[in-house]
Parts: sequence; structure tokens; C-alpha cells
Amino acid sequence: MKHVNPSGVNPLSVFWVLLGLGVAWTALWGWVLLHAGPGPSYETTAPTVHRVRRVLFVLFLVIFGAVFAVSLRAYPYFQFRSRSLGAPVATVDVQASQWNWTLSQTDVPARVPVEFAVTSQDVNHGFAIYAPDGRLLTQVQAMPGYTNRLLYRFAQPGAYTIRCLEYCGVFHHIMLATLTVR
Amino acid sequence: MTTDAPSLNATNGAVLRVAIAYLVVGLGTVAVMGLLGVLMRLDHAGMLLVSPDWFYRIMTLHGSGMITGLLFASFGGLAAVISAEVHLSSRALWIGLVLYLTAMMLVVLAIVFGRFAAGWTVLDPLPYQGKTWTESAGVVAYAGYLVTGLAIVVVCGAMLRGTTAARGGLRRALAWEVLFHPKRPSPDVTHPPVLIATVTAIVGLVMVVVGLVYLVPLFLEAAGLVRHVDALFSKNAVLLFGHTMANLCVYVAAGMVYGTLPRYAHRPWKTTWPVAAAWNAIILLIFFPWSHHLYQDFAQPLGLQILGNLGSFAGGFPSFIVTIVGALALVYGAGLEWSPTSILMLLGIWGWAFGGAGALLDAIVPINQVMHNTMWVAAHFHTYNMVGVAAFAWAYLYHITAELSHARERRLDRWAAWLYGIGAVGMVALLFFEGAHSVPRRYATHDAEWQGYARAAIPFVAMMVIALGWLGGEMLARVGPAWRRTRIGPL
Repeated sequence: MKHVNPSGVNPLSVFWVLLGLGVAWTALWGWVLLHAGPGPSYETTAPTVHRVRRVLFVLFLVIFGAVFAVSLRAYPYFQFRSRSLGAPVATVDVQASQWNWTLSQTDVPARVPVEFAVTSQDVNHGFAIYAPDGRLLTQVQAMPGYTNRLLYRFAQPGAYTIRCLEYCGVFHHIMLATLTVR
Repeated sequence: MTTDAPSLNATNGAVLRVAIAYLVVGLGTVAVMGLLGVLMRLDHAGMLLVSPDWFYRIMTLHGSGMITGLLFASFGGLAAVISAEVHLSSRALWIGLVLYLTAMMLVVLAIVFGRFAAGWTVLDPLPYQGKTWTESAGVVAYAGYLVTGLAIVVVCGAMLRGTTAARGGLRRALAWEVLFHPKRPSPDVTHPPVLIATVTAIVGLVMVVVGLVYLVPLFLEAAGLVRHVDALFSKNAVLLFGHTMANLCVYVAAGMVYGTLPRYAHRPWKTTWPVAAAWNAIILLIFFPWSHHLYQDFAQPLGLQILGNLGSFAGGFPSFIVTIVGALALVYGAGLEWSPTSILMLLGIWGWAFGGAGALLDAIVPINQVMHNTMWVAAHFHTYNMVGVAAFAWAYLYHITAELSHARERRLDRWAAWLYGIGAVGMVALLFFEGAHSVPRRYATHDAEWQGYARAAIPFVAMMVIALGWLGGEMLARVGPAWRRTRIGPL
């Protein structure tokens, strides 16, 4: 079974979307370059350019507006996720420090909402949960003076890796911990 | 056919000399920082062992050197472009360059001797709490940033003074007569590069004020006058400063494109209503997207997160619909004169749009949730910096040195320009792919299963090194004759 974050975003799918946009954009760009030789005067093409701009303006408004509206439902913030996942069944207090994670418990239940109350003792860190297959599932910043509440429901048991995703000094890359989901 | 843009032959030599100095110093720095980038990627590939201490120091130098190198090279290019119609103080520009070099020296000192390695984003409180470097090293690095801000104030001040004086006031420099009276044609409208210089100078000055809002409390903290600075406040301030600075690079660099591409397309790029509206809008829009860097700071007010998303989307309108579409419209059917300059500028247009698309995807909150601080982020800013801004600046250096030295283009030059594009695109595509596989950014060592991405990038990096080695050599050989040419009376 695939690990999917609550927002349903698969990073690889985002890459294919970008690649699709890139191919379309390259085709348009390349087509223009192939037609960069002597051709119709600018005065002839200007009305078409104005139309293209107007169409693009409306198209961008519609696409961006729709994407924004849809994305609101998948916001990772506590008030949004608690609506879709429900109230937390377990709470893990997480304290970050250079270069360790201190968790109030390292075992959490599967298939129920778990809350992570994340803070930092020193500098900014990034609390990121990676699935056993190496995919980033969810994350929140660990910031000194603030407690960020992250809600998550693990789809299946396993050994999950916690990585620091905010650069925090020379041992940033080995600031790891394991979370067991049973 | 006239291009409207005055040629370099009508400009004053003193400004061209300082402009060349900016381009050579800025792009020279970019080249050296690029080689440091190669070292980091070889480390990621598992082919070179760099200690974490040195890796993060190199990373800090790479980031701060690149962003300022690109910005100041672009400032130089834009100064040269507008110098035909705007009197700029060459003295002020030299002072700006000296300040920039001083700032760079301070940052290098902090890194090399103070072991400072907080990253170019200098996210408080890390610069004072690095553990492997002292608070003093952090203060020296911050002092470097302060002097960088001073350099930007001097350059932007000189630009703004020059453009407003040349155009008879700020409103005309911002082409407001086109914006507010589009149906009343004026024979004397501000040309796009002058408009862009005015816009970016205003943005630069405001941005430095934001930088001061970030730095002053931290200097007070180091002096013991303030106990501690709120982490969320300083994160907002530094990212508002840093994100704006990164965006400013591409906007300043775009001024070179507006001023130069028409020469190769043999057509003017006019200040139409969309151009005037887009560039005036940028003065405001550039300050909205910063909060997308704080999506994962759940303590940030929700309204600012939404502003970050909508602000990022809004930035795409003027850039793509006006400038990028405008550049394509300019060359379509134009009988374009192909040269390394036009090739690199059109590659830059490609990179700006593609990097922008990667950034806009990452600006969607749920996507950012699984992309933030992965290599995806590095991918998108490398795309619009390396394929976009740097390509524009290399293109302009090639143009100005060729034009002033009367050097003839060599056949291999165009191939080198295309090779740069292929190498850069391949490299950034792999960075995006790496990010899509959740590989974290800013890691000194990569797990074995991640190393394949950096290894696959090696041929593309080699293409870039070969291409820039060739083009850089060509340009360097022309700098001397171009410099001397600016001294022979009125050009």
C-alpha cells in the first residue's frame, strides 16, 4: 500500500505536471524561435498578441483561482486537518535541539489522528516525517518560542524516519529519529 | 528599422567602464561560486568527500556569492543599457562596487576564518548559535549584509536620481502618462529599460529598509541591548528581504533584455500600456509572496499564508503575460539576428518561465507541504537564476564586449551558448526530479539511494563548464579592448 499524505499530493505527480507544462512551454517557445526569421511585421501581429494577453490574463485568473480554492481543502494546518481527520487520539510532544529530536513517545498508533506538538529549544528546525519507502509525508517547522501543532494519521504500521528539514548547523543532515507506528 | 533603444555608441565611457567592472566582477563571482556548486554536487554524488563543516561553509558562500553576484552584474548591465539616455553618476556606481566588494570580503572573512556557515538566508537565531562558529563570526557576516544593503542603496539611489532627472520627475520615469492616459499618445515616452531601472531602484531601496528591520534588532541583541528577537518576526523580515532580493535579480536582468533584444530583432520594444502597467504593478507585487517560505510555520497567521499563495500567483501575471510573451512577440517574424547574445537571452526567457512554473507549484500550500526544503526548492531557483538571470547577464556581457571591441563572433560561440542551455536545463531537470523524490536540500551528505541524481547530472554540468569556459574566455579577451574603446573620447 502506498503512503499518501492527507492532502493527497504525490510529489512525483507534481513533477509530471511540471514536465507537462515544460513540454508545452518548450513547444511554444521553440515554435516562435523557428518562426523568428523574416515574417509579418510587428504591426500585423500586434492585435493577435493583445488577444493572447487578454486570454492568458483570464485563463490565469480562472486557473489560479480554481487551484487556490481546491487547495484550501487540503491545507495542512491544525484547524483544517482536524476537520477531515478528527480530534487527535494521541499527542506527541516534540522538542528539537541541535542536533537531536526529543519525543515524549516514539510509538504511535496507526489509522487514528496523532498530534505532534513541535517546538525548538534553540534554532529553527524542520520536523519532517518520511515513510518507510523514503517519501516525505508531512512536515512542520520547529521554531523557538512557538509550538506548532501538526495532525497526521498514519495509514499503516512501520518504522518512519524523522528528518530535520530546516538547516540548523553542521550536523543538520544527521538529525534523525525513528517513529514506530503500530 | 529603428529599435528606439539608443546604441552603446552614444553613451558615455565612464559609465560603461564601471558597468563592465560590475559585469566582470559579478559574473566572475558567479563562475567561482558555480565551481563551488560543482564541489557540493560531487559530494552529493559520493565522488568527493567534503567535511560537513566545509560543506556548509561552501554552501553559505555559494548562496551569498551567487545572489549578490547576479544582482550586481545585472545592475551593471542595466546601467550600461540606460546610460545612453540617462546621466548616471559613475562615481556613485564605483562607490557601490567598492561597497559590494567590501561586503563580500566581510562575508568571506566570516566564513573562512570564523567558520561561519549559517547559509545565505542567515535565519535567526542560527547565525549567533551555530555552535561551530562564534557569535562574532555571525556579527561579521551580518555586517557584510549591512554593507551589501548600503551598496544597493548607493546603486539604486544613483539609478533613481538619474532616471527621474532624465525624465523630468518620477511620474514620467514610471511612464504614468501611458498608464493613466493610454489614448493620448505621447511622442516622448520613457523607454522600458529606464522604466525598469526606476521600478527596480524603488524596490531595492524599500528592500534595504526591510533588511534593516531585520538586522538592527540583531545587532542590538549582539550588543546586549535586546534580550532576544522573536523568531517568527525575524523569519518574516529576513525572508521578505531575501525573497525580494532574489526576485529583484530577475527584474533588473530583464531590463537588459528589454534594452538589448530589440537590437537583434530589429524592432522596438515599446512602452505600451501592458508594459507600463506590469512594471508599475511589480513595485507592489514583489512584496507579497515572501510568506510562502513560511507555510510550514503553523504559527504564522493564516491570512499571511493565503497572501503568500495569492501573492505568488499574482507575480506570474506581469512576468509571463507581459515580459515573456512580449519577448516572444518581439522575435516572431522579426528576422532575428542569431548570436550568442540573442540565444542566451531567449534561453533566459525559457528558464524564467519554467523556473517560475516550478515556483508557482511550490507556492500551493498542500504541494509545499511535501516539497518544502527538498531539492525542488533548489531546482526552481536554480532554473530562473542559472537559466534565467545568469543567461541574461552573460548575454549582455557578450553583447557589450563585442560591440565595444568590434570583435567578430566565432562560429563556436553560438554552439557554446546552446550547449550552456542544454547543460543547465538537464541539470535543473534532475534537481526537480530529486525534489519529487523527497531528497532534502542543504544536506552535507546524501544517502546512497540519493546519489544517482547528482551522478546523472555530471554530463550536464560538464556541458555548462565547457560552454562557459569557452564563452568566458572569449569575453575576457574582449574586455581589455572594450575598456580601452570607452576611453577614446565620445563614442
